[in-house]
Amino acid sequence: MLIGLAAALAVAACGEIPQDAPKPYAGKEDTKAYAGDAFKGDKAKYEKTLAERAQYQNEYARATWK
Amino acid sequence: MARMKFICDAERCIECNGCTTACKSEHEVPWGVNRRRLVTVNDGLPGERSISVACMHCTDAPCMAVCPVDCFYRTEDQVVLHDKDLCIGCGYCYYACPFGAPQFPQAGAFGLRGKMDKCTYCAGGPEENHSVAEFRKYGRNRIAEGKLPACAEMCSTKALLAGDAPVIAKIYKTRVVTRGKGEQIWGWAMAYGGSDKVSEQPGVKA
Repeated sequence: MLIGLAAALAVAACGEIPQDAPKPYAGKEDTKAYAGDAFKGDKAKYEKTLAERAQYQNEYARATWK
Repeated sequence: MARMKFICDAERCIECNGCTTACKSEHEVPWGVNRRRLVTVNDGLPGERSISVACMHCTDAPCMAVCPVDCFYRTEDQVVLHDKDLCIGCGYCYYACPFGAPQFPQAGAFGLRGKMDKCTYCAGGPEENHSVAEFRKYGRNRIAEGKLPACAEMCSTKALLAGDAPVIAKIYKTRVVTRGKGEQIWGWAMAYGGSDKVSEQPGVKA
């Protein structure tokens, strides 16, 4: 029994507390970006708009001199 | 679900500070607080490079991990934001951040440190979208208008890209593959036609 107790104590420090668990957020709830007048809750439209807007940064896609 | 990120193309950045100016102007950021700034290496030497740095909206954000009052949260687009009403201005996030993103306004004459301020990816904060309170605390909410961050949209050379990570990564990849390497990077042929090599352009001394 003593050996068992000693073994349990010996490995007691080997456990690791998970450090990547999501931390709770204690602040106010934020409104969704697509909840306003521009998108009226339409998430798909919101994502499509941003994806299209990102393509304005790609001159290889919008260039006319190619 | 989008994963909003920034990429700065150091080959294109011309250190114009347009991004930092756009950010300060868009959000009316107070004096002494720089949500975005430029870092230049080998300044004044051949081959110098500049990069525009702000909050990188880390996937495993250290600021979020160390905050003692848990004032950080992540939006659906993976943008890291914080609640200023909860922030106690301790500065732990400043020490934890590898990019120096958290900023602290010097609000008083005796070195009083205010609540933390940082890049919001132009996504506002935990207040009603487009409200006066949101603008006063966090700046303009361009994302809710379907726009990308002002810094990236104002970038004259499009060195700074913002958007969903796979989308901007693809743009960047196309760019790198197209421009090649060495002298081609300067984009001489794109600007003036002819050879890609600067050394083959007329008027260049051998």
